[in-house]
Parts: sequence; structure tokens; C-alpha cells
Amino acid sequence: MFHSLILLVAEAATESGGGLFDLDATLPLMAIQFLILVAVLNALFYKPLGKVLDDRDAYIRGTQAEAKERLMKAQELARQFERELADTRREAQTTIATAQAEAEKISAEKVAAAQQEAQTQREQVQAELDQQKAEAMQSLEQQVDALSQQILQKLLGGVSLG
Amino acid sequence: MYLAEPLNYLSHIHHLPIAELEVGKHFYWQIGNLKLHGQVFLTSWFVIGVLIIAAFLASRRSDRIPSGIQNFMEYALEFIRDLARGQIGEKEYRPWVPFVGTLFLFIFVSNWSGALVPWKLVEIPGGELAAPTSDINTTVALALLTSLAYFYAGFRKKGLGYFGNYVQPVPFMLPFKIIEDFTKPLSLSFRLFGNILADELVVAVLVLLVPLFVPLPVMALGLFTSAIQALIFATLAAAYIGEAMEDHGEGHEEH
Repeated sequence: MFHSLILLVAEAATESGGGLFDLDATLPLMAIQFLILVAVLNALFYKPLGKVLDDRDAYIRGTQAEAKERLMKAQELARQFERELADTRREAQTTIATAQAEAEKISAEKVAAAQQEAQTQREQVQAELDQQKAEAMQSLEQQVDALSQQILQKLLGGVSLG
Repeated sequence: MYLAEPLNYLSHIHHLPIAELEVGKHFYWQIGNLKLHGQVFLTSWFVIGVLIIAAFLASRRSDRIPSGIQNFMEYALEFIRDLARGQIGEKEYRPWVPFVGTLFLFIFVSNWSGALVPWKLVEIPGGELAAPTSDINTTVALALLTSLAYFYAGFRKKGLGYFGNYVQPVPFMLPFKIIEDFTKPLSLSFRLFGNILADELVVAVLVLLVPLFVPLPVMALGLFTSAIQALIFATLAAAYIGEAMEDHGEGHEEH
């Protein structure tokens, strides 16, 4: 069967007169046709689509660079923000500390003043009390004489009468 | 039953239109005293039409964000560019992208049209329609164009210094390099022609023997080899062009 097949193929090849390796004017015409196809596809396909590809590459590269730049700027800003935040915190801390110190000083002063006032008032009151006591004592001593005179008279008067 | 009467069987299938084998028969056109293979031109026009329509549709409205056929053709173009860049080099590959790319696309679409389009169902007077690359004229034309291309590339880059390539590593290589100039187009054309014709013949013979389902794996294999052949042809063409433009001479002398 295969034998007959091969024979059949061979027969077909010989009887046509052409054969497999039949080189003729097809060759140069095909070459010209192919070159025309190259030119047409170059104008219609390679150039425009290649331009699209290149433009897109350039666009992506540009956008990427820009994005990188922006990212760096943003990072720089973030760092600056952090720095400023730290500065501000420190400042606030010192302000609070000074305010506290001041407040303590003021309160200490006030307490001291109040204590002093209280002391002076107390001393004053004490002095007054002492004076009044002395006066009272003085008046009492004066009265002692009079009273003892009276008591003596009463006692003596009773005896003389009696 | 068939084995009992093989001749009858054969003569019977010989008359079935699908299972006919026609090799080396051509549909001749006569222009002046030039003979042309009409079937080759008919199918090559179909292939060229497909390529031009696809290219037109792809580049008709080119967007930055591609979609549909533009996306597909951009993929093809990037593939071709990578191929040319890999063989010719980053610096020189751009002017050769159209030539190498068209070689790849034309051969690829030709081969696949031979495998996928039921050409044989179209009746033409004499011969039968098949992939344009299964005709030796087409493949020799492409291979000779490749030869011209690499000579052109070499002379354009180096002028007459291109002949320095022939004695490059050692002068003793001269005869081999000269022989290479003949074997390059020969091997290019016969590789492509032989592979594609053999694919079609194997499928045809198998269809003739077992008409249903059995030829399918061979057809799938044919699709694979067809694609590979297109890739090989384009890669080799690019490699030859790159080789012709390679400057090994000056680089070594400077060191």
C-alpha cells in the first residue's frame, strides 16, 4: 500500500512537468512582492506602533522619575515635619517648665508673705494682749489698796463698835 | 476487506477530492514568456491581505493604553523587536526590525494559513492551493533577500572593510566563510521549504489513509513546527545581519 502511495506521488510529480524544484519567474516576483510588503508594513505597522511603544516607554520613564522626585520631596517634608514637631515639643516642654518654676516661685513668695503677715498680726495681737493684761494688773493693784482699806475698816469698825 | 483488494481501494480513494495528493503540480500563469506559479501568488496575496488588514486595524487608532487588536499587534511587535535586538544588538537593530519582522510575520501567517485554512477545498485549474512557503520559489526568494540584506548591512557599516570578516579569527577560515555565503541561503530556503512541504504531505498522506481524527495530532504538530520554522528563519536572518555588522577587528586591535 505504501509502495503504491509513493509511486503515486512520484508519478504525480513527473507527469506535471513542473516538479517540486520548479524555479521560475515566481521567485523574483515573490521577492519584489515581499519587499513591497516590508515597505507597506513599515509605514502601516512598524513605524506607528513602534512610535506608540517608544512614546509609552518615555511616558512611563518620565512619570516614574517624576513620581520618584515627588516621593523624595514628600519624604523630605515628612522629615522636616518630624524635626519641627520635635523642636516644638521641646519648646513646649521648656515653656511648661519655666511656667511651673515661675508659678512655684510666686506661690512660695505669696505663702511667705502670708505667713509673715500672719506672724506680724499675731505679734501685734500678743502685744495688745500683754498691754491690756498689764493695764488690768495695774488697775487691779490700785484697787487692791482701796479694797484692803475697806476690808480693814469693816473689820476694825466692827470691833470698835462691838 | 480493503487489504484484500488494495488496488481497488487506492484507485477508489484516488478519485475522492479531499484525499487527492498533488505534489509538484502547479497552476501556471503566463506573463509574456515568463511562467508563474499562480497558486503561490493567490495564497501569498491572502497572507499579505491578512497582514495588512491586521496592521491597519492595529494602528488605525493608537492609544497610550492599548486594547483589542492593537494590544495583540503590539505584543507581536515587541516580540519581533526583542528577537532583532537579541540577534543584532541594541545599537543597530532598529532599522532591521521591519525586514526581520516581516520575514517572521509573512512566514508565520503563510505556514499557519497552510495548516488552518482548508485551501484544498478551493478548486483551481491545475495544482492545488497550499501555504506559499511550501513552494521552493518563495523560500528561495526570502533566503536570497536575507543574503542581500546581510551583505548590504555589512557593506553599509564597514564599506570594503566588510571583507575583513572573511579572514577574521584566522585567515585560514577564508574558504569556509566563502562557502558559508552559499550555504546560508541554501539551508534557509530548504529548511523552510522542506519542513512546510513535509508537514502538508504527512497530513495529506494520513488523511488519505485514515480520513478521520488520526491526522489531528500530526496537524497539531504541524502547527507547532510551522511556528518554529517562522521563528528559526527570522532569528537566523537577524543573526546573519548581526554577524555581518559585528566589529570584532577594531575592538581587538584597540586593546
